[in-house]
Order: sequence, then structure tokens, then C-alpha cells
Amino acid sequence: MSTPVELKEGASLPAVKKNIRQDNINLYAKASGDFNPIHIDADYARKTPLGGTVAHGMLILACVSQMMTNAFGRDWLSGGRLNVRFRAPARPGDVITVSGSIRHIEKGDGHQMIDCDVLCSNQNDEPVITGDAKVKVGDNENRN
Amino acid sequence: MKAGQEFPPAVFQVGSITVDDYLRAVEEDNAIYQNTGLVPPMAVAALALKSLISAISMPSGTIHVSQEFEFIDTVNTQDTLTSHAGVSRIQERGKLHLISVDINVSNQKQKPVLAGKTSFILPVP
Repeated sequence: MSTPVELKEGASLPAVKKNIRQDNINLYAKASGDFNPIHIDADYARKTPLGGTVAHGMLILACVSQMMTNAFGRDWLSGGRLNVRFRAPARPGDVITVSGSIRHIEKGDGHQMIDCDVLCSNQNDEPVITGDAKVKVGDNENRN
Repeated sequence: MKAGQEFPPAVFQVGSITVDDYLRAVEEDNAIYQNTGLVPPMAVAALALKSLISAISMPSGTIHVSQEFEFIDTVNTQDTLTSHAGVSRIQERGKLHLISVDINVSNQKQKPVLAGKTSFILPVP
């Protein structure tokens, strides 16, 4: 269910929290077709510098998109933009919090361009993904 | 691989079974995807990247460092999508290469639905 966001600079976006489990990673591999063993093969991953399996970066990024969809509904699906850096891997057992806030609003003719900071951090408050997201929304539009 | 190199286009669909798997994997429960036929834009992005990864055959040690996406239009489970990808930049950094690839996805009406730039660091063989 969508959560409306107050469209003002500084407003927080509805945070999303995820427990990263190997089951999710395996299912994401199936859905995305990315079966890189670093994600799904514990024996292989243990012998790499990462020391164990890690989630697909795109799986964690999907949670950012989820937060933006919750906040802006269909406007995000056809007008959203993401620009992020992957800072650190997310591992099974990690708890990832996806958060964001509106940095800037630019008013246009019948619409507003919403510029947001987005962050995924783990249970140790280490950044996993940082970046920004933009979405164009219509004035007085019901975003639910 | 060199800047300007284009990869063969990939044609794919994001059917309802794949969407269901994707929604369960990321634990996405927004009603916008329930029985609407809408495909989450990041599912489209994931399958576009799959095509790219298959084309490049990423070596062990490849790191996905950054990602840009623009979700231009909605995608339905019935849509047939075509992904075009090409190398936009290669930088050497010691024993590593930073490679940026532009991706553009359009639907069966040749209408753009997604654009992106993905950047990887690959070890030099």
C-alpha cells in the first residue's frame, strides 16, 4: 500500500527495512538470471576475498525502488531516475535499512521535480548504497 | 572490449512468473503490482543487465560499482522488450579496468521504457 509523502524539502521518505537471507538471494538469482557463484555458492564464496556469499547489488537497489514506489506510486514507474554507488556488500544475516529524504523540489508547469537523497545502510550503520533519486510528479496528484 | 563496442540486442519478456519470483525475492508487496500486470522497473532492469552479463562474460572478481536508471514508461507482463547495450567508457586503473555500459530498453512499439548506465570494475586478465 502506498504511503503519501509530504512534498516539502527535508521531508523523509517511508523507510524500508530488509532482513537479507540466502533464500532471498537464491530467489533473486532465479528471477534475474544472475547465478554468479559469489551470490549463491557458499563453498565458492568462502574462498574469495569476500569470505562468503553476498547479495546482488541490484537486489538491494530494488529496495530503494520499493521505497520510491511506496512514496510516489506510478509516477516512479514512468518518471523515476536513480543514480547510485554500491559502497559495500550486503551479506546474509544483514539488516538493511533503506531511507531517504527530499533534498530539493523544482516546480514546473503542472508538475514538480522531486530530488531525493537515498541511502541503504546495514545494522552497523555502514553505507551499502548511496545516491539520489528523482521523480516527476503532477501537481495535486493522488499518489496512492 | 573497447569504447563504442555494441553488444547484440537481446529480446526478452518479464512474464508473470518472473514478476512473482522477483516480488518474493525482494519482498515487495505494493498493491500497484497485485493483479495489474505491471512489471517492477527494477525487474526490467535486472533482466536487461542479465543480457549484458551474458554478452560480456564477466570474469571472477568483477565488482558492480555504480548504476544509473531512468524509468521512462511502465512495462506490462505482456510486453516484448528489446535491450541495446554498448560500451561508453573504459578506463585503466592499474590492474583494474573501469567499464561503463549504456543500456536502452524499448518495447514492441519501439517506445523507450528504460535507460541506464552500469559501471563495473574488472581485473585485467
